[in-house]
Amino acid sequence: MGSCIRLVPPSCDGSCRVECLFAIFNIVLRASHRAITVPSAALIRWRSDRMPRLAHTDAQCSLLYAPAPDANSPPVPLPQFAEESLQGYVMLVSGHFQGFCRDLYTECAQLCAAAVPVTMLSTVQSQFTAGLALNTGNPTHENIRKDFERFDFPLNLGGAAPENPPRVTHLGHLNYWRNHVAHQKATPPPVGVPAVLTLADIRAWRASCDGLATALDDIMQQELTRILDASPW
Amino acid sequence: MTTQYLTGPLNVGTMVAIRNSGFGRGMIVEYRGPLGPKGARVYGVEVGTSPDTSYIEVLEEQLEAEPGDRSRN
Repeated sequence: MGSCIRLVPPSCDGSCRVECLFAIFNIVLRASHRAITVPSAALIRWRSDRMPRLAHTDAQCSLLYAPAPDANSPPVPLPQFAEESLQGYVMLVSGHFQGFCRDLYTECAQLCAAAVPVTMLSTVQSQFTAGLALNTGNPTHENIRKDFERFDFPLNLGGAAPENPPRVTHLGHLNYWRNHVAHQKATPPPVGVPAVLTLADIRAWRASCDGLATALDDIMQQELTRILDASPW
Repeated sequence: MTTQYLTGPLNVGTMVAIRNSGFGRGMIVEYRGPLGPKGARVYGVEVGTSPDTSYIEVLEEQLEAEPGDRSRN
């Protein structure tokens, strides 16, 4: 008995067996639900549609690189279209990640709007969609924070998991190169940003976007549970 | 449980009115997908007259397509 975990809620003085049982049941139910919770529709689409599309593009890009002559030398890119293909790839990674962020934001906004009386529905929807940074701007850390903080909490994407700070840095590099390609800039990148676009870098950025997508989905799941007092998805 | 629809989504370009809204006529500018509660379809609608247009995302059940419009896929 001494080694058993005490499941009675801390507020219990021992006189309310039925209430305690309900409280324990609720705790176990919430814990089990967290363990088997499904992701948002936005994350499902990211995993089942957007990431596979990016994987196809990746496969196409990797065909453009000849195998290395030996283990110590870097792969030799084919001159034709290799650079353009990488530029297309970087635009797609940024675009699909922006699409995911917009999808997740819309899903969260519609869930919150559905909780108000029907006469206020379009008023709330209108406020959620007015001046969204992600509708016109790149999926930068700043734009993601700006939009998702409309749900009334400080979004700390970098602090949500130990793996996230380098992912946020990768997101910055991705967006830098996205703009570099879109505007066909001739200026060299600032210190810290890869000076040359490589397939290995884009792969790392794509993996980081994947990690950030899962992290953002998890954060919003928790925040909407707080707001709606029920698991949103 | 996902919302079941018997018809395809409304077409982009369809002129609509938004129920219980002060906005006048609007035009569907984007089908956002089944992102609403229980998989309800969500649309981006542009309301107002140029250059003072606003963008709003609403559920399909809030929309009334104008009669005679080729609104479905």
